[in-house]
Amino acid sequence: MQIKTASIDSLILYFKEEINEEVLEEVLSTYEALKKFPHIIDLTPSYSSILIHYDTHFYTHTSIQKSIESYLKTYKHNKVTKNTKTIEIPVDYSKGLDLQRVAEFHKLSIEEVIQLHSSTSYRVYAIGFMVGFAYLAKVQSAIATPRLDTPRAKVPKGSVAIADNQSAIYPSDSAGGWNILGFTEFDNFEEFEVGDIVRFIAL
Amino acid sequence: MSFQVINGGIFTTVQDLGRYGYAHLGITSSGAMDEYAYKWALKLLGDKNTNALEILLGGLILKAQADTTIALTGADLNFQINAKPAKLWQSINIKKGDALSFGSQKSGMRAYLAVKGGFDTPYVKGSYATTIREGIGGQLKSGDLLAYKSVEKQVTRRAKQEYIPQYTDSLTLRLVLGYQDHYFSDTQKEQFFASEYTLTQDMSRMGYKLSGPAIEPKSAQLISEGIAFGAVQIPKDGQPIVLLKERQTIGGYPKIGSILPQDCFKLSQMPIGSTIKFEPYYV
Repeated sequence: MQIKTASIDSLILYFKEEINEEVLEEVLSTYEALKKFPHIIDLTPSYSSILIHYDTHFYTHTSIQKSIESYLKTYKHNKVTKNTKTIEIPVDYSKGLDLQRVAEFHKLSIEEVIQLHSSTSYRVYAIGFMVGFAYLAKVQSAIATPRLDTPRAKVPKGSVAIADNQSAIYPSDSAGGWNILGFTEFDNFEEFEVGDIVRFIAL
Repeated sequence: MSFQVINGGIFTTVQDLGRYGYAHLGITSSGAMDEYAYKWALKLLGDKNTNALEILLGGLILKAQADTTIALTGADLNFQINAKPAKLWQSINIKKGDALSFGSQKSGMRAYLAVKGGFDTPYVKGSYATTIREGIGGQLKSGDLLAYKSVEKQVTRRAKQEYIPQYTDSLTLRLVLGYQDHYFSDTQKEQFFASEYTLTQDMSRMGYKLSGPAIEPKSAQLISEGIAFGAVQIPKDGQPIVLLKERQTIGGYPKIGSILPQDCFKLSQMPIGSTIKFEPYYV
């Protein structure tokens, strides 16, 4: 782990520069620990980093680095992991605008694409782009498909989509270039947290 | 009692100091772009933790339905009460029926209008701040009613002249090096700090795009990570973008560091075409 300055009142912790479950677990346990660290304004965990926005009434730039380093050292010895929740998303794959494209790209049948997408258990690696937009990985390489050459002006809310080896559900109407595989009525996007397990259930 | 919105102006929103503690859900902080002017507006009314209108470039017309006290700070947008020029940076007692109007911009970009006790608008996740793309609040439009409580006449408070900023069209922003500063060679950094940049029209509450000599990071993409207020992102075209109050919570472009908040507040008052320089600030 490496600590770096992000701004006058924030630091960023960097973990191994990779996207995998091992790094994610490290981000998660550190994030859990930091939730109990006093005078923090915001924590932004992502794939392999955590941004820490702290209250400058309580720390100087140097004091926070030292406090966090020693705090995390003690914490490592009595590591508590958070219970990860599982979220199941019912998906109507008959509304997948790009199923055909993905199937052709990989020379698979539409049924095989649906089967491969819905048989995987995903983890939330990051949340951003917009509120409740959870980046889910990893999509099986057999169906991993690049973004559309021309993004759609409007991807409807509830669209279940993939881009390369990531999947996501659009929490509101938005422009977007991901391949749409289906549609869900799921509407509780603020439930998503980094680390959650997500499964798609084909209707 | 309310202000009746006769004309919503170019872009007027309710703001406060922002929404914190929700970045992990992808919720941006939002809040007043110029906290300095915003805080003064509340201070002049003896208020704390209320809210104010952030008025971008004028056009706004309000009609008061009850007596109250207001304060206007920030940009000079030809503020008038009943078609007579009114003072900025001081509290003003107004009467039922008074019309508050904003004309064209004289200096600065954003004015803050606070009312004693605050506007009675929805309080969402610990803040009154408007973030339109998140469906929290909206832009003022004609016909809206902005509720407030009527108050008795207040003693007038004024900001001393020395506290009233002079808005300019050239500024040096102090930058704390950090994030991916190692993606830029020493020569590139020297060039960055020696160059002049221009504020483009691509400016919003999310961020301000500058144009000038391009600097190139050694890699144009990285794993998405949290973005601090004032972070200076350098995308593929080498043109810096200063990320402000409504920035996305995470992003994958290299960042050379972050501007001091106080300088971001000044930046948010600068018009298109302003000249910007950067200087390193060591912590």
